[in-house]
Amino acid sequence: MTTITAPAAPGRRGANWSAAGRYAVIVLCGLIMALPLFYLLSASLMSQHDIRAYPPHLLPPKVVWHNYTEAYHFLTARVIVNSFVFSFGILLVQLVITIPAGFALAKIPFRWSGAMLAVIVVPMFVPSNMTLIPLYVVTHQLGLVDSYAGMILPIAGQTAFATLLFRQFFSSLPAGLIDAAQLDGAGWTRTLVSVALPLAKPALAAYCSISFLTAWNTYIWPQVIAPDHEHAVMTVALAPLASGQYTLMSPSVGMAAAVISMLPVLVVFIVFQRWYINGVVGTGLE
Amino acid sequence: MASVLDNGTLRRTAPPGSGSDTRTRDRRKRRDALAATVFLTPSMVAFTLFVIIPALGAFGLSFFSWDLFGSPQWVGVDNFTRLFKDAQMWTSLRVTVEFVVLGVIPTVVLGFVLAVLINNKMRGMGALRILYFAPMVASSAVAAVLWSYMYDDRAGVANRVLGWVGVSGPAWLSSTTWALPALTVMMIWLALPLVMILYLAGLQRIPADIYAAASLDGAGRWRQLWSITWPNVGPTTILVTTLQVINFVSGSFEISLIMTNGGPLGHTQSLALYSYQVAFHQTEMGYASALSLFQLALIGLAVGLFKLLSRIRRSA
Repeated sequence: MTTITAPAAPGRRGANWSAAGRYAVIVLCGLIMALPLFYLLSASLMSQHDIRAYPPHLLPPKVVWHNYTEAYHFLTARVIVNSFVFSFGILLVQLVITIPAGFALAKIPFRWSGAMLAVIVVPMFVPSNMTLIPLYVVTHQLGLVDSYAGMILPIAGQTAFATLLFRQFFSSLPAGLIDAAQLDGAGWTRTLVSVALPLAKPALAAYCSISFLTAWNTYIWPQVIAPDHEHAVMTVALAPLASGQYTLMSPSVGMAAAVISMLPVLVVFIVFQRWYINGVVGTGLE
Repeated sequence: MASVLDNGTLRRTAPPGSGSDTRTRDRRKRRDALAATVFLTPSMVAFTLFVIIPALGAFGLSFFSWDLFGSPQWVGVDNFTRLFKDAQMWTSLRVTVEFVVLGVIPTVVLGFVLAVLINNKMRGMGALRILYFAPMVASSAVAAVLWSYMYDDRAGVANRVLGWVGVSGPAWLSSTTWALPALTVMMIWLALPLVMILYLAGLQRIPADIYAAASLDGAGRWRQLWSITWPNVGPTTILVTTLQVINFVSGSFEISLIMTNGGPLGHTQSLALYSYQVAFHQTEMGYASALSLFQLALIGLAVGLFKLLSRIRRSA
């Protein structure tokens, strides 16, 4: 046991035990964190009777899959499509406007870049509920209430985070790379599109996963600006269930609808976890 | 925040080889300025329209009385004097303070502890971390649907779990005493993943040799946690606390709106929610803006106070 490697490990005799204990604690705490979501899954499979039972069941005594068919009918294809339109709309619009902006701030030398950067950073710390009212007023004045444009553009216009993310990434590209492209006579557009952008996959992955997750889970804005069924997204359709409107519908169907609404973001999060986390941390929020 | 501004300083010189004569340099400069303008304009237009104008608008609106349809009436500081005479404002101020007091410290401390726990390279950590970050994928709507049912006094699992330790739980969300703590617990759950992620990043910046030196000096693991780890993530703690104060003051309103609509009897109606209701139910845009400005001032005060306290503690 006693070796000359790893000289600084404290209490090596009990190391195996304490490692096992630590592992157990880690698993246990992780399970506790995720427990409400396991319950959501379990409740979504209970029968109408079982979910109302007293004392409540933790696991479905009988698995009822057709809750999911009913949940789909409750949500409707329209609402599901709306959620995708809303999220991808924000993602694409923001991508198109923030990539060049981030690049310009990182690599093109010009006089106002410092000032612009400062202007962009400050509103990140203003609470969102504060700008909700004037944002609504602006959108109302633009005549965009009850429209996809009204749902998408004002959110896509909150460009601070994305601009900083791309700026941060492009800043990390070696100056020589950009200079070489310029020497070859490439204009800034060519430099961005064919030199910088192909290298930007990590930043794109971070941006897309964060932006998709945030947009998909947004509730207040679509609720305020376009609550009608024609434009309602999934969060808007789900929210009324939380005040216990279960007279016409089994709570387990509500749970199934919640699971359905979570699936796309769950997949995105699991696949993009690494980039997502790097993006959250790496924008230089600190 | 500093790193946003300081690293990646712009190259102000023209790329090498572009020639030293001033004509080409001028032309290059003009070309750069043109490109920068083209690249930045779309983003800046959107930013101005949907960030700057609303931010200034919130300020401007608070001096008017406006129902969104007629023409705005200038009322001077009336909206602000009304604030202090408004009993509902005081109740919602108390609710806001309660959310912050109950929510922020547990979120920060738990987030730190859990981040320390998962900051190691054991086998399978990647998969385990997904469990820890899982609440991140739940929208407030999903969380509200789930937790409101878990808090049900009869069919809810919260009371069943409490029953195991011999506690008979109340009807959480309809109790004037317990609704707010119940919502706070749920918000802590929702907020923890982000806090953990930020702390993890902070932890990974601590150089490993500090720990090696400490254990040579005979410092135990707990001692190291308290005297090395915690002080070294100080900047993260300040960031996380600031974000969480904002979250519990402002973000909390979405949860109360969905789950209790401020009830029972206004006991979960924070300033943010009150301002929302004044704006969208009573359509008093001016007064609602004054309320949200007041709330911003409070956040500034809380964050400032916290920064002051942490500075005093450090110098003591």
